[in-house]
Amino acid sequence: MIWNQLAGNLTQGLILGGVYGMATMGLSLIFGVLRVVNVGHGAFVMVGAFVAFWLFTALGLTPIAAIPAALVVGMALGFLFFYSVMRRLVGAPELTSLLATFAMGIILEEVVKLIFGTEYRGYNWDVGRVDLSVTVLPWAKIYAFLGSVAIAVLLYLWFNKTRAGTAVRSVVEDSEGARVCGVNVGWIYALSFAIGIGLTVASGVLLTMFIPVGINPYMGGPYTLKAFVIAVLGGLASPYGAFFGGLIFGLIENGSYTLFALLPGAEPFALTRFLSFAILLLILLLKPTGLLGAKE
Amino acid sequence: MVSVFLILGLISLGGMVYAGAPAKVIIGHPACLSGKYAKAGEQALGGIKACVKWVNEVYGGVKIGGKKVPLEYKYYDCESKKEVVTSLIERLITVDKVNVVFAPYSSGLTLSGAPVAEKYGMLYMDHGGASDRIFQQGFKYIVQTIGPGTRYHVGTLDMIHKVDPKAKRVALAYEDSEFARMVMRGAEEHAKKLGFKIVFKRTYPKGVTDLTPLLSDLKAAKPDFILGGGHFEDGQLFNRQMADLDINVKALSLIAAATLPAFYEALGNLAEGVMGPSHWEYGVKYSPEVARKEGLKWIGPTQDEFVKLFKEALGKDIMPDYHAAEAGAQVLAYVLAVEEANSIDPTKVRAALNTLKFMSFYGGWDVNETGKQVGHSMVDMQWQGGKRVIVWPPEAATGKLYYPMPTFAEKAKGKVAVPK
Repeated sequence: MIWNQLAGNLTQGLILGGVYGMATMGLSLIFGVLRVVNVGHGAFVMVGAFVAFWLFTALGLTPIAAIPAALVVGMALGFLFFYSVMRRLVGAPELTSLLATFAMGIILEEVVKLIFGTEYRGYNWDVGRVDLSVTVLPWAKIYAFLGSVAIAVLLYLWFNKTRAGTAVRSVVEDSEGARVCGVNVGWIYALSFAIGIGLTVASGVLLTMFIPVGINPYMGGPYTLKAFVIAVLGGLASPYGAFFGGLIFGLIENGSYTLFALLPGAEPFALTRFLSFAILLLILLLKPTGLLGAKE
Repeated sequence: MVSVFLILGLISLGGMVYAGAPAKVIIGHPACLSGKYAKAGEQALGGIKACVKWVNEVYGGVKIGGKKVPLEYKYYDCESKKEVVTSLIERLITVDKVNVVFAPYSSGLTLSGAPVAEKYGMLYMDHGGASDRIFQQGFKYIVQTIGPGTRYHVGTLDMIHKVDPKAKRVALAYEDSEFARMVMRGAEEHAKKLGFKIVFKRTYPKGVTDLTPLLSDLKAAKPDFILGGGHFEDGQLFNRQMADLDINVKALSLIAAATLPAFYEALGNLAEGVMGPSHWEYGVKYSPEVARKEGLKWIGPTQDEFVKLFKEALGKDIMPDYHAAEAGAQVLAYVLAVEEANSIDPTKVRAALNTLKFMSFYGGWDVNETGKQVGHSMVDMQWQGGKRVIVWPPEAATGKLYYPMPTFAEKAKGKVAVPK
């Protein structure tokens, strides 16, 4: 019985972890290239959730069709915020960029609130479910997981097989050296920020495929917190590390729930949070670059 | 000499008139207009504005010292944050010189502001904080309009006990918040009293984004019915993920979320048959006639007048829910207490509130010596064919209970929970 529950929760954790990982890749990419911590991360996830909601309810488009749309919306927002704000803050003290991204998040929340109001919204895309005997998985969640894996693979190929991707990697390694070699570092900063935001907004769509309710201008907060834990787990400057960090996080969070539930009188959810942050502290102490992060 | 006495007499008379009848009575409010409680905050804002307008334009103002004085409503956005609530209450009392402070929404925020109001000896009226703990701290200036949390699921348990004596296995799964913990405590005590077996009892954290681990364990406990919830987004998540995991029970009652139109809009058919306890629903049968029968004073707009005033106040075509009704009723309670005390002095008004009993569109109002609401009864609503129907208690019901609720497989085929 307990093994069945553990297997069921681990399956759910793996699927959700993939989406969490995808939701963190944008954060890691932006930090890797610009050395900017995007504390407004959750607000961009929220924008993606509203893109999915609006396209589904107003135009009848499925969330799968909303993924490329969200990527485009996100990249447009990324370029807009980069050229209006972030360009001036590259290389500025950390606190300045931290406050700027915090402000961007608040602005986005309030703009979305003006357009959509404060209702908790949701949509109902029912494409059936599959009974795995240890748990039941809706196909929408499986599509979200597959979508996350596909985007992670595409990003990997873009980084390693294209000139633009190589240019980004060169800037991550040594921005001055890249500039000397003729790389337009300013453009690479803008492109990386836009792709990072695009990925984050697209992840909002994928998250609604997992949880299509509770869509609200202020829904992003918990995702920001989770993204930071996952990013540190996988390596803050490594987008692929973030993806695998998400998988590990999902497995720890859901798997440990079943085990903590065995303790008499325990509240398992509270303990899973404790465990997540205890692991975070351990990693910061033992391997500050993250489990999959490169050496500084 | 005579003229000196005359002048002194006029000054003191002027002072008496001023002390007895101020130019206006100011209600201060750190309102949740943004942040996680923005939805309930907007409702409360509309409810307060509606009743302030009714008092000023229909009732003619608050009667103090033989004079009718208008109400003024002064509010700021508390962003649903504790630290903002405390500083705004300081500002409302010391800068804006308000005569009463209305607490923000939620038990946590209400509790955070209470010590500040208490420090200034300011009357602090609670329309959105249901936790019983608020009234166990020894605060002298707090008075509640919303009913206490421990009563939320009492009616639901009574109802299931009556309609299905064979349903014995109950699962309790609530948010780990001040308010929801109190609801769970009250539900647990009452369930045991009625002979139910609690087969599952857990909490989940605020801001939870995935309930599948908890719901998987809950499914394994095989309950007959589930009581739970906390606020808004978690209620939607609870229902949605029950559907994802195909957890079918005879009844599901979720606090806060299930009573809101947004719950059905977000979930559609999946919400059919889901219930929720409510302090007020459109359709309740409180009226001046009912008040007369129960020997209570009646004040305020009728239900339909309140709805009209609410829509005008917000400038939106949305229906008020219980967050609006309880906030509006609080304005009426304050007005009656000021008139009874014939003063705006917070200590005198607080004393008058202790003995006040009345009925409005919101229902009965009466508090005990700690300020906790004891005169207001809750109702239970159920989603039936996309409409909210009051199903309990029988004297307030606007329709029959649909029981057991349809399974999620039946709902997927379009079945609705409308009784034949």
